[in-house]
Amino acid sequence: MGDNSDEKLEQLFAAARSGGIDTASLEEHFETRLMARIAERNAGSMPWYLLVWRMIPGFAVATLITAACSLIFNPSRYSDLFAGITVGQEDTITISSLVGE
Amino acid sequence: MSGTEQEQSDERLINASLAGHDGAFALLVSRYKRKVFGLASRIARDRDELEDLCQEVFIKVYDNLGKFRGEAPFEHWLTKIAVRICHDALRSRRHERFRVTDSRLSELHDHGAEARSHASEARQLLAWAIGQLKPDEQLVITLLELEEKSIRETASLTGWSESNIKVRAFRARQALKLILEVEHGRQL
Repeated sequence: MGDNSDEKLEQLFAAARSGGIDTASLEEHFETRLMARIAERNAGSMPWYLLVWRMIPGFAVATLITAACSLIFNPSRYSDLFAGITVGQEDTITISSLVGE
Repeated sequence: MSGTEQEQSDERLINASLAGHDGAFALLVSRYKRKVFGLASRIARDRDELEDLCQEVFIKVYDNLGKFRGEAPFEHWLTKIAVRICHDALRSRRHERFRVTDSRLSELHDHGAEARSHASEARQLLAWAIGQLKPDEQLVITLLELEEKSIRETASLTGWSESNIKVRAFRARQALKLILEVEHGRQL
């Protein structure tokens, strides 16, 4: 191993330095692929409390819709004619049983 | 853009990333991806491995961004992470070194002696020869000779002492010369 091998090694280094590998095609949209991988990873490892926190608006909307529906489609029994009759009948039966008629 | 402006801008992007703006991190990635690809391409054996290495580097950066104190430039901190991941990749493949080099050797033999004079063949030959070295020596020779870092920079990036770098570089060069001589002897 002498000067010749040193020189040859230097030539190889110079050749390797001069022509770097063209990575332009791989660099294209690299950020997009990376951010997608990070987002996928973050979504997979989301803690349960964060999941519950994120679902709070959904729960709130569901509660409001349920409340609105119950007011619109299920009015109070006493405002219903048949419900009134039923309540009256129950009262009559109770009084009858108490007085022994 | 001056150095100071770049640093301020990096800092702003880092703060925005830490606040949860992924777009800011993507901007940081696009700013430094060429450098990471340049280093990783010296280590990776194919395009898939190159993509994986680069993604691993930036995911590590993303995870540890909060630990960046700004004492050194962001680029230096990023390069240190890239060097560590490249070193891990080299270490993980040390057991499969001989299998890989044998296949590379047969590829080289197929091309013939004349084609060997071309620059791309020289690069292939050097890549094959470097692949024969120990992982630490591979990393040192890549940083010193191919990335043209100084001894001091290499020491800072690897976390090894300067004298350690010198010893490893000397051993690596000796080993490379021996490998190339043996290979040359086989060709004649």
